[in-house]
Amino acid sequence: MRVFQFCSSASLEKLTGRKAHNLDELLELVKGCSSSSIFYHTFSAFRKLREVQTPYTNDFAVWIMRHLSAEALAEKLLAIDLAEYNTIESLRSRIVEVLEGYRSENPSLFEKRAAEPFYLYSVVRFVYLTDKFAYNLSSFRQLLDTISTDSIYYHFIESRLQTQLQTDDFSSWMEENPDYKELAEKIRNIDMNIHTLEELRVRIGKIIDQYL
Amino acid sequence: MSIPKLSDYKDVVGRDVIGELYTLASHVGKRSIKMVNSTAVGGGVAEMLHRVVPLLNELGIETRWEVIKGGADFFDITKAFHNALQGKEEYFEPEVFKTYLAYNEMNYQEMSFEEDLIVIHDPQPAALIKWQNKRKNKWVWRCHIDMSHPNQQVWDFLRSYVELYDAAIFSSPLFSPQLKISQYRFYPAIDPLADKNRELADDYIAGVLEKYEIPRDKPIVTQISRYDPWKDPVGVIQAFKMARRHVDCRLLLVGDKAADDPEAEEILAQVNEAAGDDPDIKIIFLTHSIPTEINAFQRASDIVLQKSIREGFALTVSEALWKYRPVIGGAVGGIPAQIIHGYTGMLVYSAEGASLQIRSLLQQSELAKRLGENGHQRVKDEFLITKLLKRYLLLLLALDHPGKSTVLLD
Repeated sequence: MRVFQFCSSASLEKLTGRKAHNLDELLELVKGCSSSSIFYHTFSAFRKLREVQTPYTNDFAVWIMRHLSAEALAEKLLAIDLAEYNTIESLRSRIVEVLEGYRSENPSLFEKRAAEPFYLYSVVRFVYLTDKFAYNLSSFRQLLDTISTDSIYYHFIESRLQTQLQTDDFSSWMEENPDYKELAEKIRNIDMNIHTLEELRVRIGKIIDQYL
Repeated sequence: MSIPKLSDYKDVVGRDVIGELYTLASHVGKRSIKMVNSTAVGGGVAEMLHRVVPLLNELGIETRWEVIKGGADFFDITKAFHNALQGKEEYFEPEVFKTYLAYNEMNYQEMSFEEDLIVIHDPQPAALIKWQNKRKNKWVWRCHIDMSHPNQQVWDFLRSYVELYDAAIFSSPLFSPQLKISQYRFYPAIDPLADKNRELADDYIAGVLEKYEIPRDKPIVTQISRYDPWKDPVGVIQAFKMARRHVDCRLLLVGDKAADDPEAEEILAQVNEAAGDDPDIKIIFLTHSIPTEINAFQRASDIVLQKSIREGFALTVSEALWKYRPVIGGAVGGIPAQIIHGYTGMLVYSAEGASLQIRSLLQQSELAKRLGENGHQRVKDEFLITKLLKRYLLLLLALDHPGKSTVLLD
């Protein structure tokens, strides 16, 4: 098993001055904004509101729910499983597809003015190595309790955009050891959309404990 | 109490947060920053700079702070600009802009700008950049004010200078205009170790309540805010009176006023009239507030209100959330960034809404407790001075990599 060096990431939020007042304008923003804007309003949501326990992984959906009361459309967007997307462009296409599909059935909703506009952000991400190394599963388990939530976020959620794999870094590393194939699968199957980062830490830890 | 060092924050925010600051600082390397604003004392910006400057120095970022000079005529103009940028309708003669620029030029000639990053705070010194030709360093304009409805004449004038900067920083997307330069969002921050926020002994809190003759026989609902119509103190009294038909409680209104604000006397009179001779309403008017007493009022409260109808950022919300208080806030300005409705507090839109939430939270202690705990965590994640330090470090790194959305640090 190779040594696993934990990374972490940090984000600096950028404002764009751009906003949408209705769903038509939102659709245009989603189509034309930078990939870092899509990233911010989807993947970054895991980190932004980490104390909130409900699925909260899509800012577009939250705005639609709160300010347009279009719950069904919001649910369709929230149901997009980010774990299945390892490129921002494929995720953008899916969001556009959901919005356009809904518009064809509910055209008038797309002109309804929201109580508050949607503000488009973007983000600069910084990825860096930490001084924490796991040499085997046991040391990995010990370090899991000490790494920052930013580090959990990076390895379990964000890094798939770098690796272009539909999986997290932890299970990829564990899978290198034939004895841990089943463990890796269990880790990979944790629903990242549901849990807060602290809950992810606890769940991963509990699963590993079964194999130590 | 001595001034806290960065290491003192480990117990508050966690070892990993302080460790991350040092890691990021090592990636930034040896750099220097100059902060420029218009006042050394009074106001949130000066209060924040007094803490940020020494802490950045501790991280190895050589940071200096300079205050621009000006006559009464200059500060009258910049106060009028400030009000205009916050939405006040007013027309300015060309001479006003000339005077503003003359003071900026005078300050520019007297100052040096050799540091790697120059951070200019607010509109007063914003035009300093006009005389900085062929610069090698980066200049960033940090706007702390609510620019959601700016007076177009003043903003058009100022924008021509703002767009000379490398980037601008705003506290909220609500305040961010479309600009040709990059814009970053920095939340304002509270200092958990400052007198206004640090832990207090129960004896001290009890002593403060005794001093102000506030019995603790009933739950206390508190709003601490300047006596200003936008903070809606009369609406708070209405909400309290409606709620008290259902739950027994006391209302504590604590506030001061700006020395030169004749409107405050009028508002205070309205507040007294609305309160009448109700023995459960305590109105405290402070000419000079003592931070530890404000801290004690917040900690002694069962609910903290910030029922503003127009607001800048309202860090009083974060102050109360940090103390695990359930907070009811008006859904305006920066309050929704701090209060996620139903998770870290309750957002309201009317006196009626506030009264319902007072009733709800006083009768559901578990919910109130959970909101307080979630609120504390949110402040810990986003609104503490340590997060502000991190944002400055990331800003230095971002300015090194213009146009990049992902930066891999070696």
